[in-house]
Amino acid sequence: MWINWTNSNTEILPSMTFLFLLLPSLCGALLALTVRPYRRFVGWVNALLSLLAIGAALSFCRHIIAGGDAPTFGPGEMLRADSLSALFMVCVTAVAALTLWLSPGLSRESHYSAAQLRRYHLFINLFIFAMLLAVSANNVGFMWIALEATTIFSAMIIPLSLTRASVEASWKYILICSVGIALAFAGTVLGYFDFVTLSGHAEGALNWPVLLATAPSLHPEVMRLSFVFILVGYGTKAGLAPMHTWLPDAHSEAPAQLSAAMSGVLLAVALYAILRWKVVVDAAVGGSYSNHLLLALGLLSLVIATFSIVLSRNYKRMLAYSSIEHTGLLCVGLALGPLGTFAAMLHLVNHTAAKSMMFFLAGRVMHRYQTTEIKQVSGLLKVMPVTGGLFAVGMLAIIGLPPFGIFVSEFALIRAGFAAGNPWLMGIVLALLAVAFIALINHLNRMLYGAAPEGVTVGEGSRWALAPLLINVAVLTVLGLFLPAPLLALLNQIVGIVSK
Amino acid sequence: MNEHDAVFAQLATLGASLVLLFGIALLWRRSLRAYTKAFQWQSLVLSGMFVLVGYFGHDPQLYLMAVFFFVLKVLVIPWYLARLQRQVGGERESQPYVNIATSLITSGVLVLLAYIITRPVVRVSALPTRGGLPLAVGLIFVGLFVTITRRKALTQVVGFLVLENGIAMLAVLGTYGIPLIIELGVFLDVLMGFLVMQVFVYHIHGTFESIDVDQLDQLKH
Repeated sequence: MWINWTNSNTEILPSMTFLFLLLPSLCGALLALTVRPYRRFVGWVNALLSLLAIGAALSFCRHIIAGGDAPTFGPGEMLRADSLSALFMVCVTAVAALTLWLSPGLSRESHYSAAQLRRYHLFINLFIFAMLLAVSANNVGFMWIALEATTIFSAMIIPLSLTRASVEASWKYILICSVGIALAFAGTVLGYFDFVTLSGHAEGALNWPVLLATAPSLHPEVMRLSFVFILVGYGTKAGLAPMHTWLPDAHSEAPAQLSAAMSGVLLAVALYAILRWKVVVDAAVGGSYSNHLLLALGLLSLVIATFSIVLSRNYKRMLAYSSIEHTGLLCVGLALGPLGTFAAMLHLVNHTAAKSMMFFLAGRVMHRYQTTEIKQVSGLLKVMPVTGGLFAVGMLAIIGLPPFGIFVSEFALIRAGFAAGNPWLMGIVLALLAVAFIALINHLNRMLYGAAPEGVTVGEGSRWALAPLLINVAVLTVLGLFLPAPLLALLNQIVGIVSK
Repeated sequence: MNEHDAVFAQLATLGASLVLLFGIALLWRRSLRAYTKAFQWQSLVLSGMFVLVGYFGHDPQLYLMAVFFFVLKVLVIPWYLARLQRQVGGERESQPYVNIATSLITSGVLVLLAYIITRPVVRVSALPTRGGLPLAVGLIFVGLFVTITRRKALTQVVGFLVLENGIAMLAVLGTYGIPLIIELGVFLDVLMGFLVMQVFVYHIHGTFESIDVDQLDQLKH
């Protein structure tokens, strides 16, 4: 009802919406911090608060689709929400809500101790807050600070239960991503250096619209160097090959909730940062430079991820490699002009819906079978019919079968490639997608059928946890059948921003 | 270029060279103590550079940043590093993946590379400090190299901190300091990131009974 309330008042309220977007996760973190030891109501309050943030994100979309200006907020216009931010806000808040509703510590039984649950709820909320800050920051310096913070907060959750594997994964994660993101800061500094060289210390120089307005007069040779640092830096965080080595470890060792958030949206948020800079750099040096770099890294990610999927023996790592594959695909799309950008953004929404669901299901499978080896999981459809069924549906969606959304967005992406005059490239992409298709189907078959291994209880267990995942299935199906008008309008506006 | 600028330019280049030298010093030292000391000296010189640029560039804000930088990187982080070293860091960086001679040659090549790639940057700039920019990028590369080639978790952390110092130097020499509010956010991130890393070093020590990252090779396929 408060969406109408923002709609009826035009001036101040869109900017107040930022508070509804950011405060829920911050309050959630504070609550988790202050209530000691952990109590179940903390988890429930956090879950309810997350719905408020979804409302705020949707309200931004509504405002922007209706043709409103991008609202800003705070001193020096610290925060800003244009169509690109709005789409990412919806993705982040939706996955955040899913994560918080399916978090440990909501039901009576949990295999975590109270201290672990408190730590989990504190850091998952801070992590969500940092991601939301990253996509709503107007200042590219703030965007960097927020993205670095996502690494720190999420790294604290990976070793929730201390094992050799989780310690190893969290160390690789924080070290590689911190180094990567530091390089992105060097790129940011170089961009700022060029701005200062031209126009002195201006107010709000790092604000994205100011940067974009100055971009045509920036020095192309400096901006090229800056973009290399940015792409390698944020690309590390986005899981682009060859900087992806941390990703399969972190995504497979983290608790399922965090894996879902990391695979579902964190990679996308890092890509968002690249996209923001791509627009500025394109204005400074022309589009073909950034497009070639994105194509190269995207294709390399596709190749490495595809063959890693073929070789993977662990289903969580298989899903992680599939995320690298799709990030690569997104990069290829972004390099293919307006049509490709449109397809990539649609693909991003689809991938978010599919991957966040898959990691939850993988978590359930692991909990039941007590293994992450594909070989040791069999008869999933018999052991857990609903989980197994959803797992199969999600996997079919990920490999790009109709009637699911990924089929449509991959099709659009390939078509954009042909339209942009890259038939050879698209041939390679299609071949790689086909290899991944066969490998994933093979892995899936091995898990779904056969006899249940001894010692594994048969029966679904608590079903309520699966209900929220039906939303993901619904989103994937709807996007596979038609493109809702508001989403179409939003995507068109994004294309208008990204590829002028 | 007037005399004032000429002195400034010389001091800036001298300071930047010193900072880089402390970075390269990591390559031939082995004990964690030496690493910490080199990092501490480097940070001290770097906070001096903040003051220098603040004085010659007439930007009093940089004095404030110099104080923050000094407290964070000369006092707080080395204190934590020393404590870590007492508790878990008895081991020496016995055998880095790359030996000392090769490391030194590589770092020379990296600095050369930095000079080549920053040529356009130096060309467009009219600042007296521009001579230090390639050295800053060189330090970033050396920090990256140290992080990649060391075997102990703690020496990797120091490599990362040195890389960050390189970026700080790039910012102060190239732009006379990024906006204060951003800089404060960056300091906060550096501190939080470092604290999390040191917790993880304890985790590694606790679960593997050593901080040799060679053992971190369980996760495959």
